[in-house]
Amino acid sequence: MATARTPRSGSPILRLVAVRLVWTAAILLGVSVVAFVLMRALPGDFAIAAAGAQFVQAEVLEAIRREFGLDQPVWVQYLRWLGEALQGDLGRSFVTRRPVTSEIGPRFVVTAQLTLIAALMALAIGGTTGLLSARLRGQTDWVVRLVNGLSLAVPNFVVATLIVLMAGLYFPFLNLFNYTPFLADPLANIGSLLLPALCLALAVSVTVSENTRAAVLEVSSQDFVMVARAKGLRPRRVLGSYLLRNALTPVITVTGLQVASLLGGSILIETIFAIPGMGQYLFDSITSRDYPVIQAIVLLAAAVVVFVNLLVDIAYARADARVRYE
Amino acid sequence: MSETRPEAFEAEAPAAAPRALRRRAGGWLVLGLGLAMLVTIVLVTTLAPLLAPFDPSATSMNSLDGPSARHWLGTDLIGRDVLSRLLWGGRTTLLITLVAVAIALAAGLVLGLLSGYLGGWVDQVVMRVLDVVFAFPVFLLAIAVVAALGPTVPNLIMTIAIVYTPAMARVVRGPVLSVKRWDHVEAARSVGMSEVRIVTRHVLPMVASPIVVETSLTLAQTIFTVTALSFLGLGPPPPDPNWGGMLAEARQFMELAPLTVLGPAAAIVFATLTFILIANGLREVLDVGSRR
Repeated sequence: MATARTPRSGSPILRLVAVRLVWTAAILLGVSVVAFVLMRALPGDFAIAAAGAQFVQAEVLEAIRREFGLDQPVWVQYLRWLGEALQGDLGRSFVTRRPVTSEIGPRFVVTAQLTLIAALMALAIGGTTGLLSARLRGQTDWVVRLVNGLSLAVPNFVVATLIVLMAGLYFPFLNLFNYTPFLADPLANIGSLLLPALCLALAVSVTVSENTRAAVLEVSSQDFVMVARAKGLRPRRVLGSYLLRNALTPVITVTGLQVASLLGGSILIETIFAIPGMGQYLFDSITSRDYPVIQAIVLLAAAVVVFVNLLVDIAYARADARVRYE
Repeated sequence: MSETRPEAFEAEAPAAAPRALRRRAGGWLVLGLGLAMLVTIVLVTTLAPLLAPFDPSATSMNSLDGPSARHWLGTDLIGRDVLSRLLWGGRTTLLITLVAVAIALAAGLVLGLLSGYLGGWVDQVVMRVLDVVFAFPVFLLAIAVVAALGPTVPNLIMTIAIVYTPAMARVVRGPVLSVKRWDHVEAARSVGMSEVRIVTRHVLPMVASPIVVETSLTLAQTIFTVTALSFLGLGPPPPDPNWGGMLAEARQFMELAPLTVLGPAAAIVFATLTFILIANGLREVLDVGSRR
């Protein structure tokens, strides 16, 4: 935090980054408290849950209590847990007895990939429809807004279920559940993620579309666009260098902020399409009451959201000179 | 205005007025449609005991039957009537949604008003705590809480209320921050009105529109969250039917009996659409967030 110590010197953007980093660390600390409390707020005895059976011998319970440090004050337990978590040790799965971190790692990559593809799709679909809607107005505008409103009303797991149903009824030769690992066949891997990503992207694309539309309309009414038109620039150039350039910033911000909803939705989509990502793992862990895994995934997802928000904040400040560095 | 400058009035009015009027009329139309759909859902689900042709948990020998005069939407795997289960399932889904959002609204109002109106350290503390809750993806947090507490109707209601309170509080706080500086609030204070009275009579009415719109949007999102949780097996416990759970159960055999999937899917979409229409209608009618 060298930049935070000397507020007068250094570029303002670095100061912004420093302040936001401290703030992010504080939020993450809060997030860790919530995750810890959730875990310890389990109804019944934590040791019994950890043992994984209803009737356990007293000595075994005693051993588990000592192993997790349950005989110590809660804040000692929390600090110990936090210290371990910071070193990448999120405990062991109740079911497999293997470290949670090594179990989550490969699944996290799959989910990240799915989320990324979905975000790009949402940006492409929403950006196009929003732009068309704002530029053409009239009937196009009306149709886009109607379709947006309707697709917002169909939750992603319903879309996914209906797609699977339709494929089963009318295209039985299609195999939707053909997830291929990236290293085995990169192209087939991305191909197998396209349909799930589309289900995930639909709702987010509506947000992107609405924001693109509003941003383009907003920018179109600005004086500098009128000047550009008045001095006879080609419409295409006005669109590219003036309209889109300026309208894109808020749109990218909004897409970044949707990461939370993409991560949440990936649980449902991965479960439906049998993709071995974090979401499916979470689903399995709920069924088997594997609390350390649930805790780790929730913690990880929150951390990702916090970091993406940080990046969006910084990118936004970088792109928009009007943001004050405070 | 029209008396002093009639020509200006005539020149501007035809261009501006019809569009605004048409938009507002469209808003009323959408709102009316949404409210009509809401009345339909509420009527149909509250009257489920009278309307449902069968006991929703009564099994029969007719497994996965197609639609017939006896079972309009067919039967599920263990021969239960899909239509009856849809009607009864709507009760649980709607009950959880409405109560949870009501609690989130109340909590959000209290927190947002406290935070925005009092400002200072109260604002700091409330907003920082909400920031932490905000960091969790809504749906993941809901899953974690329900998984920890156990999926019962009261737990589901509490979880959803917790998860949606921060957004509600923010929507309340924003406008309160500016309204509290307005002259009429200052005037009310100068005549010695109590702070509670100022807030309820002079601040709250000014910020009501965005809150009403946000509430109806939250209702739509809550339908999603409740049904999605049930879809993952974290819904109300089994004997009671619910839409998300029905969809999940029907998935395995859906090619044999598509209606077992289409029924709950349509119900979920209908309910979500209801609240989205209400939100969009309200937005136009109340002129919230000036959209062109």
